[in-house]
Amino acid sequence: MGISSTCFIPLLFLSLIAGCAARPLYPLPSKLNIHKQPLQTSRPYNLAHRGSNGEFPEETAAAYMRAIEEGADFIETDILASKDGVLICHHDVFLDNTTNIADHKEFADRKRTYMVQGVNTTGFFVVDFTLEELKTLRAKQRYSFRDQQYNGKFPIITFEEYISIALDAQRVVGIYPEMKNPVFINQHVKWVDGKKFEDKFVDTLKKYGYKGAYMSKEWLKQPIFIQSFAPTSLVYISNKTDSPKIFLIDDVDILTEDTNQSYSEITSDAYLNYIKEYCVGIGPWKDTVVPVANNYSQTPTDLVARAHALDLQVHPYTYRNEHQFLHFNFLQDPYREYDYWINKIGVDGLFTDFPGSLHNYQELTSPVSKDNRASKLLHKIAVLISSNGKV
Amino acid sequence: MGISSTCFIPLLFLSLIAGCAARPLYPLPSKLDIHKQPLQTSRPYNLAHRGSNGEFPEETAAAYMRAIEEGADFIETDILASKDGVLICHHDVFLDDTTNIADHKEFADRKRTCMVQGVNTTGFFVVDFTLEELKTLRAKQRYSFRDQQYNGKFPIITFEEYISIALDAQRVVGIYPEMKNPVFINQHVKWADGKKFEDKFVDTLKKYGYKGAYMSKEWLKQPIFIQSFAPTSLVYISNKTDSPKIFLIDDVDILTEDTNQSYSEITSDPYLNYIKEYCVGIGPWKDTVVPVANNYSQMPTDLVARAHALDLQVHPYTYRNEHEFLHFNFLQDPYGEYDYWINKIGVDGLFTDFPGSLHNYQELTSPVSKDHRASKLLHKIAVLISSNGKV
Repeated sequence: MGISSTCFIPLLFLSLIAGCAARPLYPLPSKLNIHKQPLQTSRPYNLAHRGSNGEFPEETAAAYMRAIEEGADFIETDILASKDGVLICHHDVFLDNTTNIADHKEFADRKRTYMVQGVNTTGFFVVDFTLEELKTLRAKQRYSFRDQQYNGKFPIITFEEYISIALDAQRVVGIYPEMKNPVFINQHVKWVDGKKFEDKFVDTLKKYGYKGAYMSKEWLKQPIFIQSFAPTSLVYISNKTDSPKIFLIDDVDILTEDTNQSYSEITSDAYLNYIKEYCVGIGPWKDTVVPVANNYSQTPTDLVARAHALDLQVHPYTYRNEHQFLHFNFLQDPYREYDYWINKIGVDGLFTDFPGSLHNYQELTSPVSKDNRASKLLHKIAVLISSNGKV
Repeated sequence: MGISSTCFIPLLFLSLIAGCAARPLYPLPSKLDIHKQPLQTSRPYNLAHRGSNGEFPEETAAAYMRAIEEGADFIETDILASKDGVLICHHDVFLDDTTNIADHKEFADRKRTCMVQGVNTTGFFVVDFTLEELKTLRAKQRYSFRDQQYNGKFPIITFEEYISIALDAQRVVGIYPEMKNPVFINQHVKWADGKKFEDKFVDTLKKYGYKGAYMSKEWLKQPIFIQSFAPTSLVYISNKTDSPKIFLIDDVDILTEDTNQSYSEITSDPYLNYIKEYCVGIGPWKDTVVPVANNYSQMPTDLVARAHALDLQVHPYTYRNEHEFLHFNFLQDPYGEYDYWINKIGVDGLFTDFPGSLHNYQELTSPVSKDHRASKLLHKIAVLISSNGKV
């Protein structure tokens, strides 16, 4: 007897179930009854630069999870590509300073010299390793004066793994990925479908549902800023995604990687007027916003004022706690630096290696409250009482 | 005609006036209508260790004035003596690390080797220079990673100059002088009147009106703690002054300078019971209170608990902002260190090179208020509102 019609539908049903058994038809128990604390939008953003890399090696899962634990609003990363076109999180195009590549004798013959942004650089380049090979390496702390105890413990992670960390957090955490060295990547890595690095970047974001203009409902559910030093890459993706974009600006003597433009040109009013059609803000190197002489901050430039006049946010990089990075007028005190930049200069976000310290500072001086006005009134009353009548 | 009796009294009166003309018979205009803000006593003391020497060379007038400006409760100093018996403010018995003695070729032949606390030390010793000679030197910043711009600008100051700085402040500022290396000083310096270093120390305090037990009315007008590593010196002056005394405790492998006692002996319960008859507290090296391994804080010892049980205050030294001094668990954040020591360990005062940072932290987390209870209640209400019902 063959399969009769009376058996067909049950069999079809059974095979459907069998076919679906690998995929959950129910929400994960850990995700039931979750009301995620939303992104705070009442004070400048705490941007965990490469994760909490004051403590952990940069751009590792541990660094990102720690940053989330410490209260960062966004976790920041740099996206490059492996030899086989997988998008990975890594800042340098070479592996020498942040991984134990030197201990991997099997890769000794991969050392190369490439032109990177006009500079001949020798080392082991990410574009010469497949993802599988990169995954055998282990990250190390870049700065000798930071904790070395995690060296050799954590691997390089992919763009998708990074996104998963953000999406799995118990509160809403934004991502802040950079299209890093796109000219270099497109020179060295080719994708079979003919797509470019920027296309792959946007495809990944779409796969995980990132969309929506700044402050839209969808954006608030999955906040994101896309950043790049290369204006043409930002312009290129502008009609592929409406996610907000930030134009990064390097030091005064560096030209843009793709268009060879100078600092003075890309910070001119004319250029800012142009770029604001594509970007919601700029990310400048902080020592160009407030120049430095003899390790003392000088009079600020007008860059922030001009950007703000065009409704461009300003997210300078990078704030670090160590005295090697703090200018003397901050008296070796990172909180004084935050105070200056937030209250005197008035920036909209801060890239920091120490999101815990920044969060601590912000919680002490401008705690997020559901009812901001009542809280402010109470604070005024408290000040009144404590100063015995003097407001 | 001789001086008749009718002229005598006017003449006497005139000569009195003439004799007094050099001394003001009126209060200084700057001191009229001054209500000095009193010493805060509602939170642990901010003790400016050697002045604000994170910014200025240690123990200079500038360092002390800056510390007062930054909100320190007490300015701390180390008292040594010059060759001619003048009490001066200087930490090291030798001048090499903190002055430009090396540039003074006229003193080149004064280099010597002396035994200092059991260690043969070569250098230029303060006890070989008169005050006049010391005053030709200029202070320099001890740590290379701190601001060097004030090197060569400031002289060494005397005990009396230091006291004047404290008394002249616009608010009540306490002093915290140490009888430093008293065994060494008494070996090398003799006073004509047969008095010892400790006698001269107390004489100076009396000259400026320092007296009164801890928290007495006189003490609150001119707060002071006297400190020393040498218990016999503290005991010796105990019947000469009722000003509160603090017993300093060095590292676990250092013996007391005068009695050759070990750390475990002088931190034992019997010894603390003994010393509390003479002292109101102890000043331990912080890394013995909370031991350190691999640059991570370990489990605290019970020293603070045992001291507190005997009503002894604990003022550990020394809190510094730089990562060279911050243990890794504080994540390069000096405010994290303050938080731990104030809220977890519960110390009564903190010696810091950065009184400005400590003041900032304390003002943010426990502001001094005239009406402390109302302020706390308001704060609770604010927290209630901001957390939407959750206390």
